[in-house]
Amino acid sequence: MLVATLLVSSFVIFGALYLAPGNPIAVLSGGRTLPPESVAVLEERFHLNDPFFPRYASWVGGVVHGDFGYSIAHRQDVSTLIASRIWTTAELVLYASLLILSIGIGLGLLSGLTRGATDTGVLVTTAVSAAIPAFVASIVLTLIFAVKLGWFPTQRNGVGFLDQVHHLTLPAFALAISSLAIVARVTRAAVREEFGREHVQTATSRGIPYRKLVRRHVLRNAAIPITTISGITVASLIAVAAVVERAFGLNGLGAYLVAAAASKDFAVVQGISLVLVAAFVLVNVLVDVLYAVLDPRVRLGARAQ
Amino acid sequence: MRGTRKIRTAAALLSVFAVVSAACGRSATTSTSASPTGGGTTELPTTTTPGTQPVDKITWALYRETASLDPIYAFDYPENTVLSVLCEQLLRQAPDGTIGDGLASLDYPDPTTMVFTLKDGVTFWDGNPLTPEDVVFSLERNTDAALGGFYGATFSRVKSIEATGSNQVTIDLTEPDFWLAGELASTPGWIVEKAYVESKGKDFGTSAGGTMCTGAYEVGTWKPGEGLNVVRNDSYWNPDVKPLVNEIDFIGASDEASMTSGMLTGDINGVYSFSLSTLDQLKQSSAVTVTTGPGWNTDAFIVSSFAGALGDARVRQALSMALDRQGIIDQIYKGAAQIPKSLSPPGTFGYGRDVFQQAYDALPDLSGSLDDAKKLVQEAGAEGQTITIGMSSELANLATEAGAYQAAAEAIGLKAKLKSVSAANYINFFIDPAAREGIDGFFTTNYGDYADPAGLLGTLVMPDGSQNYSGYSNQQVTDLMNAARAEPDETKRAQDVADAQTIIMQDMPWIPNAFPNSTRISSSNLTGAVASFAYMFAPWADQLGGTG
Repeated sequence: MLVATLLVSSFVIFGALYLAPGNPIAVLSGGRTLPPESVAVLEERFHLNDPFFPRYASWVGGVVHGDFGYSIAHRQDVSTLIASRIWTTAELVLYASLLILSIGIGLGLLSGLTRGATDTGVLVTTAVSAAIPAFVASIVLTLIFAVKLGWFPTQRNGVGFLDQVHHLTLPAFALAISSLAIVARVTRAAVREEFGREHVQTATSRGIPYRKLVRRHVLRNAAIPITTISGITVASLIAVAAVVERAFGLNGLGAYLVAAAASKDFAVVQGISLVLVAAFVLVNVLVDVLYAVLDPRVRLGARAQ
Repeated sequence: MRGTRKIRTAAALLSVFAVVSAACGRSATTSTSASPTGGGTTELPTTTTPGTQPVDKITWALYRETASLDPIYAFDYPENTVLSVLCEQLLRQAPDGTIGDGLASLDYPDPTTMVFTLKDGVTFWDGNPLTPEDVVFSLERNTDAALGGFYGATFSRVKSIEATGSNQVTIDLTEPDFWLAGELASTPGWIVEKAYVESKGKDFGTSAGGTMCTGAYEVGTWKPGEGLNVVRNDSYWNPDVKPLVNEIDFIGASDEASMTSGMLTGDINGVYSFSLSTLDQLKQSSAVTVTTGPGWNTDAFIVSSFAGALGDARVRQALSMALDRQGIIDQIYKGAAQIPKSLSPPGTFGYGRDVFQQAYDALPDLSGSLDDAKKLVQEAGAEGQTITIGMSSELANLATEAGAYQAAAEAIGLKAKLKSVSAANYINFFIDPAAREGIDGFFTTNYGDYADPAGLLGTLVMPDGSQNYSGYSNQQVTDLMNAARAEPDETKRAQDVADAQTIIMQDMPWIPNAFPNSTRISSSNLTGAVASFAYMFAPWADQLGGTG
């Protein structure tokens, strides 16, 4: 599955960029007129005149060996350029995921298991924050916590673990805030639904202690929809990260993808897109594995009945 | 319509930013920024007060990160800003544009021979002495077709570059070329170490290979994406120059809102910029000083085709007369630009300044009465004709200018149509004749490589000029420009160029919109950076340091 998805998406990515208008050489030369010999040299070096299939084949062949091609703008290997940025995005997404899973699921459970003011408070808060897109969150968080209060920096990644956490906190919250709210609401709904099920009510009437009831009957069954929504939101963070990275001047893959697309650095765009697709697929595979762990009825590789 | 929506989103985003920041009100009452603004040609300072206190480390922002440190591929702000603190040329441009000695002094034994005598004791960062071989190698890299550098055409009149002594390099010309000295004081003239370049091969200039120059700063660490760090070169060859700032981190900050908050919090200590949409907000802050110096660049409308109504010089004049330049300056440059009377800003008067200034003062104002403008259009028989303007609605500045031109055209009895392309494809107007088909003109912000009005004019008025899209040709102008290029005497050369410019302003092959000031924004406890556009080509951080 993983290989098939990657192969199809690599073809789509490569094909789309092949068809995209714009000449990398023009961008390279900044609009200056280059002598024909120089143009010929550049076209030769970057294989700009080769037909589609040989180019695609040689690109895929290279990718298999870890060679993503050569960046025209930086005159460097794409794999080097990606490697120097991939950890920023990974750390940011990981940090945001932790926030979503801990705070999101935590709030959802809190709200699902309680009634009254707490529940209403969580509902209202999550309703509002679910509607805040990441770019707005970035601006507002920066203004309040960086510019006004001066607690957090506005730029760059930081050096060393603690400094990095310090630098990534605002971006991670900006990235997590709306997904966090959605996970909380789905968790709440799932827990409430399980409480309404017959077997839970039967268990209640049989006098099973509340804690055990919640753990064995409610949470266990609610875990499946919670895992689904968490998987989808975490996977979607990979794409949204670009917005947040730009807003906080982080050197992640997403911000680089935007910059590379603007400068028509096709090899970089292809490389990053492929890495992002791979990450997306991997997260989904992980979620599938989790299903099997959580619910023995789900077997890996089983066909839908 | 997608483009329009993007603009609205951007506008909404900005207004959110403005409202929230006003609410936060960091320092609305304590503005200390020195910022001469507004129209009119005011004399702007080219330098700022030198710093007095040592500073350990500062962060300097670029609109995107530096892509290459190989001078032959440098053509844009992020490369030039960094290279100019690292590397040096044989000749150097002072902040006021005057060309003087750099790593060498220049003599002309005859008009087709340039002899450079290298200074004693110049060393690269690695301690190796600068040799004539390094110079020949560096300059010849420009014309090596296999490297595909951007400045080959600059050397069109060069017959040979040779080491003619232990400290001497001679350039033989096919015909006199007094523009070459300016180019050699600019991007094509940066000198690198031959042995180093050869040892690095294809890695030279990249983050893997770095570079090797003679400047007062050297490359520290460079991680793509994270930033490029330069450190003071304590064994710099010139003992008179002792920069106060120990390290500079150059980072790419593409997002204006993010850069603005970085400046306000002090995470970013400085940036050279123009047309920054948040300039007004930064001026309000006590944490930031905004200084404006003379720009060398021109914001103009390129008339790319003379086939339509704009083929008649009277219609171009009329359009220019009706244009609301102050509106453009207020909206795009937040006042930090000058109203132009010509195509070459006074900042570029690097020689023959009196001659240029006199001729400039004598030029008529470009704006005029609508009635006169309408009359010109009627005389040309162009009433009711349509002009098509190439623009990109994704780029707010271009949309503003296109709107101003549309209003001007309609006010004088023309019709105007906008042809919008995506932001990424806008560059095609400059390089692809097919993209220019069917449009009458488009916008540019353009600068020459050195402080000489001829630097920009040559590209657009000479029949073979790289930016002469319309095929404009006026024998008188061509003759004057050729005479200037071959004229050893600076005053006479300036007179030729100034005379040419007077004719050019009547023909108006391009319509000037504004002369953007070179805007330097920095933490208010820093001072001493060069204020003029010269920062693109010559060291700008030598005097930078902390305030008292």
